[in-house]
Amino acid sequence: MSPESKSPRDIHSCMDAAKEALKKAAHSLGAYHLNACVRCGLCGETCHIYIADPVPENLPGVKASKVVSFYRRYHTLSGQLLPSLVGARDITPDALDELVETVFGRCTGCGRCGINCSIGLDVGAVMRIGRKIVSAAGKTPPSLCAVVGNQLADGNQMSISPDEVRKTADWICEDLRAEMADDSVTIPVDEHGRRILYLVNPREIKFFPLSLAAAAGVFHAAGESWTVASKFFDVTNYGLFAGDDESAAHITRNVLEEAERLGVEEVILSECGHGYRSFRWEGPNWTAAKYSRPVRSILELMVQYLETHRIKADRTKNLARVTLHDPCNLVRWGGLIEAQRRILRVAVSDFVEMTPNKEQNYCCGGGGGMLSMSEYGERRIASGKIKADQIRATGAKIVATPCHNCADQLIELNKRYKLGVEILSVVELLYNALDRSKAQSPSGPA
Amino acid sequence: MQGFERLAATLCFGWAVIFLLVQYMAARGAAVKDYSTPAGSPLRGMIYAFTTGMLPAHKETVRKHPVKFLIGVTMHGGALFSILVALLLIAFPGMGSIYPPVTIPFLAVCAACGVYLFIRRVFSANLRAMSNFDDYFAAVATAGFIAAAALHEYGTIGTPAFLLISSGLFLYLPLGKLRHALFFFVARADYGRRLGYRGVYPADNRGA
Repeated sequence: MSPESKSPRDIHSCMDAAKEALKKAAHSLGAYHLNACVRCGLCGETCHIYIADPVPENLPGVKASKVVSFYRRYHTLSGQLLPSLVGARDITPDALDELVETVFGRCTGCGRCGINCSIGLDVGAVMRIGRKIVSAAGKTPPSLCAVVGNQLADGNQMSISPDEVRKTADWICEDLRAEMADDSVTIPVDEHGRRILYLVNPREIKFFPLSLAAAAGVFHAAGESWTVASKFFDVTNYGLFAGDDESAAHITRNVLEEAERLGVEEVILSECGHGYRSFRWEGPNWTAAKYSRPVRSILELMVQYLETHRIKADRTKNLARVTLHDPCNLVRWGGLIEAQRRILRVAVSDFVEMTPNKEQNYCCGGGGGMLSMSEYGERRIASGKIKADQIRATGAKIVATPCHNCADQLIELNKRYKLGVEILSVVELLYNALDRSKAQSPSGPA
Repeated sequence: MQGFERLAATLCFGWAVIFLLVQYMAARGAAVKDYSTPAGSPLRGMIYAFTTGMLPAHKETVRKHPVKFLIGVTMHGGALFSILVALLLIAFPGMGSIYPPVTIPFLAVCAACGVYLFIRRVFSANLRAMSNFDDYFAAVATAGFIAAAALHEYGTIGTPAFLLISSGLFLYLPLGKLRHALFFFVARADYGRRLGYRGVYPADNRGA
């Protein structure tokens, strides 16, 4: 299962593996979309990468055609008989290298082109078929492969040890006790029999402890029974980005087994766009099984707390203007559109939407594993300009985003485009707004 | 008198339908079960995809390129009407023109739209970058077919000749780009179904 073991040994087997991955896609629902593009060219302006650099190579239609050309060559009659007349191409090492550049370097798989396609072509799904072909051939960018490898080997993408998780939880907990002036605050690790297993982004352990602290603070205020895991705690799943369904399934199963071992009732996902899409929607299909317990986003849980009055927010504690960045995988691919808005409406005084937003939002540029692939770093920052322009137009001082991946990119955009904003998670803003007088005791309702 | 042409058109139309269905079945593959718990209605998603979801307010490409979109829709309207004419001629051998005062100007406009789309493909660098011979041929074949239907309505082209031209189009239809005549509906339905299942569709699109 390691990236090395997945790499084909020679060019011949590499091409065969790529063809096999294509064959699988050609006999699935994805093939509908491989047959549908009419190359009308209207999709250009829907793509943040094309907007930043309007060359034909960045047109979604051109990008999709690289994948479609392989499909035509091996799975259509005209492509087999008259390949050059119908734009059908053989899978060759050079063609695969070109595909790597296209599907990993020129597309974040955000899906905005698909939702605006005049035909209804799911370009994002077509591009992921491209990533599957590349992955099968063992040509996934090494940096992305390494992240998947970490998840498979160590249970999380940053190879954080269980001991480090416990120590980090301890010091975050100490700080939180001081801040909340409440010695009963806890961040339980590997506790059996709790109601919730809370999956976090390893970035929260390493770089954004305030995010975990905020979630812990709200859980405490709500009297929630929860725990984090010390090994399989990672909400992310880079198998999605790598086009590696086998690894993605393995990563999903690890978490499900951890939830089983800890005997929790529910798995709650930290704020993470692709983590939500992976665990909520793709995971059951990767593992070919229905989950035995619900999997929800922390945003949905927070809304439940607010609606059932387990917590109360005081919006006057967040006076600065706040805007919201919609993570593509959470909103356009995940359908979680309103929960974050409901929270912000009660937690901040001045909430303004970007335009466009919701399922029409622009990708920040950091999606699709882009943040892990340094070779495309400059393109990533350039493609985020449309997002920077959107933020500036709102006049907001704070950008809330329910995704740590997006937050990383937005922090870089903030510096590069001198936006002068602060990037916060939605739960951090909710924690700031908590009306502590309404806090439940830990033995409160679970 | 039109026996051979009618037979040819009938066989070619049958070929188009059967081969398209074969491709659809091959693409469909084994029934795929979705193991995730739905958050919305697939049916409502599909309905949205074919109705509100195609309106300018809900689709940026339509909103930003209304003229091009309208030209495309017009050309497709002409193509569908021309196919209908061919099928009527197969079914009713003695049938002449339908209603020339309306059909001729309509088909002429549709054919002109087809010609425009071909010219645009030739002169746009972006379109050239994604086009192959099949794309140009499909544009010419469709515009030519609509023009032939117009000329048939006008009486310049007789029914046997129009049926032979139709046969050529039907023969080509499932082999190249024109197979989107089926896959447009299939792909859009699939997309609407999946986004409906996940609760993305129907979208209110207030931010657009």
